[in-house]
Amino acid sequence: MVFVESDPVGGARAVTSPAAVKILVAGGFGVGKTTLVAAVSEVTPLRTEEYMTVASVGVDDVGGIEDKTTTTVAMDFGRITVNSQLVVYLFGTPGQERFWFMWNDLVQGALGAVVLADTRRLESSFASIDFFESRGIPFVVGVNCFHGRIDRDEREVREALDLGPEVPLVMGDMRQKSVGRDLLVSLVEYLIATGR
Amino acid sequence: MDDMEAEDADDAESLFVRPYTITQGRTAPARDDLTLITIVTTVEPAPGRAGTRGLQPEHRSILQQCLRPAAVAEVAAELNLPVAVTKILIDDLVGLGRVTTRPPIAMAVGSESNMTLLRAVRDGLRRI
Ligand SMILES: Nc1nc2c(ncn2[C@@H]2O[C@H](COP(=O)(O)OP(=O)(O)O)[C@@H](O)[C@H]2O)c(=O)[nH]1
Ligand SMILES: [Mg+2]
Repeated sequence: MVFVESDPVGGARAVTSPAAVKILVAGGFGVGKTTLVAAVSEVTPLRTEEYMTVASVGVDDVGGIEDKTTTTVAMDFGRITVNSQLVVYLFGTPGQERFWFMWNDLVQGALGAVVLADTRRLESSFASIDFFESRGIPFVVGVNCFHGRIDRDEREVREALDLGPEVPLVMGDMRQKSVGRDLLVSLVEYLIATGR
Repeated sequence: MDDMEAEDADDAESLFVRPYTITQGRTAPARDDLTLITIVTTVEPAPGRAGTRGLQPEHRSILQQCLRPAAVAEVAAELNLPVAVTKILIDDLVGLGRVTTRPPIAMAVGSESNMTLLRAVRDGLRRI
């Protein structure tokens, strides 16, 4: 692949930049998002913060008084360098529903998503699945086994999550790099198979 | 992680005010095309040109970091500044011709180039 870049000013030398793609890692609180990103990333996961300004309900513009609260939302992310021209970034997205306005930004340009689920409380991943389904964003599901055992079989999990048979599902321990890798590869194979 | 928690303990107000002091009060970049994974690369100046005079320490940090291309999110993490503030600083450097930016790959559904890209991503992921 050859990439043409904007011409820098004044006879300066341009370095060829790699191109980037993005994959999201979603799911309820404590489900293993950061763990997965850490397991597969070539760098210690980094964290960045974005401001979120929340206007109070029913506020009117009185005398310049700020009726807004500002809070920060943290995102964990990691990096996998495919080759000198291509880098994959993984973003562990805030799972709490109140942060979902952010997801609209995060999903921009994402290849797809890995939704993590915990067999003890599958319902905490319903919202993520609904989100990606409603926006037509391809996703795969990773089910972790916090007690070192799988207390539900795959069919039960699919049923509980209302997943179609075509959606790839991987069960395993998110602390293991091979599990994270299999999830990511299954996502990309799914994209290839469905012509995305 | 540890210094992150130390920051959290700071006075919330100073945390919020400081970043926008760095940007001299600006809360949005002049251009708005930077994304979290836009890749930023420092332009090596021609000999004898383009010093760092007039640049803030944060600008210089970005120039140093992006000698090796880095995503906007990585720059923000390194500076320990919010993404919104980091974008403004990067945008300043774009305006000065000191960095180039590369937008994320635009995916065209079902296209052949897309398939080539996806296969490259898959093969790269298999190797990790
Ligand atoms: N036993 C087990 N523990 C896990 C697994 N995935 C994550 N954990 C642990 O669960 C805790 C929460 O995980 P974390 O990645 O921080 O969750 P997040 O909130 O989704 O980012 C951490 O202590 C992890 O070590 C798993 O598959 N098995
Ligand atoms: Mg986390």
